[in-house]
Amino acid sequence: MSDMQTVLGEGTVQIEFDESFYPKDAIYGAAYVFIDRCYVHLDRAGDKRVRVTLRAKNASTADSKSFAGELENELLGQAWRLSIASENRQLIESITARALGGAAGPPGLDELLAMDIDEATAFDDPLGIAMSWEEKYKKKGGSSEETRAAGSTLGDDDETTRVPPVVPVASPATDETEKAT
Amino acid sequence: MIELRFHEELYDGFAIDEAVKLYEPYAAFTLVREPGGYIVKIEGRPESEGGADEALVAAELANYALGKTIERSRAATPATGEAKAAADDDATKEAA
Repeated sequence: MSDMQTVLGEGTVQIEFDESFYPKDAIYGAAYVFIDRCYVHLDRAGDKRVRVTLRAKNASTADSKSFAGELENELLGQAWRLSIASENRQLIESITARALGGAAGPPGLDELLAMDIDEATAFDDPLGIAMSWEEKYKKKGGSSEETRAAGSTLGDDDETTRVPPVVPVASPATDETEKAT
Repeated sequence: MIELRFHEELYDGFAIDEAVKLYEPYAAFTLVREPGGYIVKIEGRPESEGGADEALVAAELANYALGKTIERSRAATPATGEAKAAADDDATKEAA
């Protein structure tokens, strides 16, 4: 049994309950919701019991019964939210960490220079991407001059080695055949 | 004179200090630290000296102290911030 005690007055409400049912953060959360409409005071009413006193700021429009009900609902809601937040804490933390890690972007030049990269720590390069062009296409036993001469046309300014682009052109005969059909 | 008692397990001492500093122009305050809590004695000042109603100052000070206590407690435990944010959202929706 929750043993919640409620005392209603003119524009005031006093609710006393066991702290083991509603953790302190839930009590704070519920009290905070009323802080703009009421004067709120918290006190201990014995071992593990808390007393919340609400006094309406505007006494003429205050309904102490509805304040009491609202506070009880809010206590329950806040306790439930806390329980959900603590259950999902790990998931929230991991998602936030990933989002922040992604937002940080690629490492800068200073960070790259500061990295400890050597033969042992460098990554494998089976496709030879990290190799220079000369190293990759060098003929075995040939000099670097020969390699350049025998190399592909990449970066070569000689117009004769370039292949003109093929543009498909429809022949008149084909057009006539199409019209006839 | 009005005497306010704040239980040490429910109120933050720094929050009470801050509240007293904020309302100092409107009343005279005496702070006493007792085992189990903080006591704030409030004595009104005449209106000619910029004072305000004793009861009103006491009520506003208690509210401010509670609000600051809650904010400080939330800042210390950021994981519960979601619950507060959700509560604030609900309050905004209800007000709308």
